Amino acid sequence: MEPLILALGWVGLYAPLALGAVGSMIGCSRAGSAACGALLEVESGYGRYIGVAAMPSSQTIYGIVVTMALRRELSVENSPGIFGLGLLAGLALLFSASAQGSACAASINVSKNKLEIFGISLAPAALVEGFAVFAFVFALVLAAGIPK
Amino acid sequence: MAEPYITLVSSLPYLPPFEQAGRSPITRLRLEQRLHNLDTDDARQLAKAEALVSWRMSLAKPKTDADMVLRSRAAMQDISQPALRDFIEFRIDQQVILAGLRRRNAGADASALEPIAGASRWVRHIAAHWGDPNFKLAAVYPWIGEARGYLDGNNAAALDSLMMRVIWQKLGPIAESNKFGFEAVFAFVFKWDILQAWLARDAAQAKSRFHDLIKEIKNDS
Repeated sequence: MEPLILALGWVGLYAPLALGAVGSMIGCSRAGSAACGALLEVESGYGRYIGVAAMPSSQTIYGIVVTMALRRELSVENSPGIFGLGLLAGLALLFSASAQGSACAASINVSKNKLEIFGISLAPAALVEGFAVFAFVFALVLAAGIPK
Repeated sequence: MAEPYITLVSSLPYLPPFEQAGRSPITRLRLEQRLHNLDTDDARQLAKAEALVSWRMSLAKPKTDADMVLRSRAAMQDISQPALRDFIEFRIDQQVILAGLRRRNAGADASALEPIAGASRWVRHIAAHWGDPNFKLAAVYPWIGEARGYLDGNNAAALDSLMMRVIWQKLGPIAESNKFGFEAVFAFVFKWDILQAWLARDAAQAKSRFHDLIKEIKNDS
């Protein structure tokens, strides 16, 4: 039983980074595809669209930080906590990055035709980012309560 | 949500409401270049649908009702995309209702619909309610009353505008149902087609085309 609990601890330790990275891949791919399409339609401001396409990469950074915060000598006492916290934080980061990619794609799609709404069209993507930040911050807060 | 055409949809320009458009935002050549990104099967289905129900239909327009029915049946067997099938059925229903209104206006009876029996689910219904001003379909198609008014008043231009508006409004929710999918792409293509037809409206050209058609019919008979 002990090896299984320790294995789950390792899963939880790496989950925020791995799942955050998977989410960022999906999100950046969606937004990047939209940016590539928009580049065919616009005459200038290419960097703006590519920049927006990179927004879902922040979840990987949050994942790295959470993984670092969870990092400690794994034991039977702390592994269940690390597993629960790490896995749920990772899932939150995965879904938020993926959803943010869709929001960014929609923003790129509408703002290419109406540049003046570029800022406001990013509001849904920013909201999704906000939820990812909540998951990130509270993962850090709760990580402090897991036994060393 | 499947999003296979993110790049393609993002490469398409915004289409303004056709009645407010001053020019087409994309040429046919440019549109076709963008549509090369469609999956082969989707492109084939779209081409079939365009030839069947686009506003300006292909030049190989069927000459008889029976041809049209045969052609639509054959095309529908090849079209598997549910949203596209729904749209085609909607367009055929629309054409069948207009045909019913026109034939009744010309003094025909319900038997005038026989050549198009099987074209639409409403043919029998229309024949059964031939005496009702709106064929008892106003609840399903609220535009029938207005269309009938334009037909009675021989206002073909207003009837065209109404039909274009009805199709445009139908395509809006279709595109929204899958913003980066096939639905958004084909909705764009059919909207673009309407926009082109609207921009190409020209009374003198229409008159000349009308005379050409009359000559064609006289030569055929």
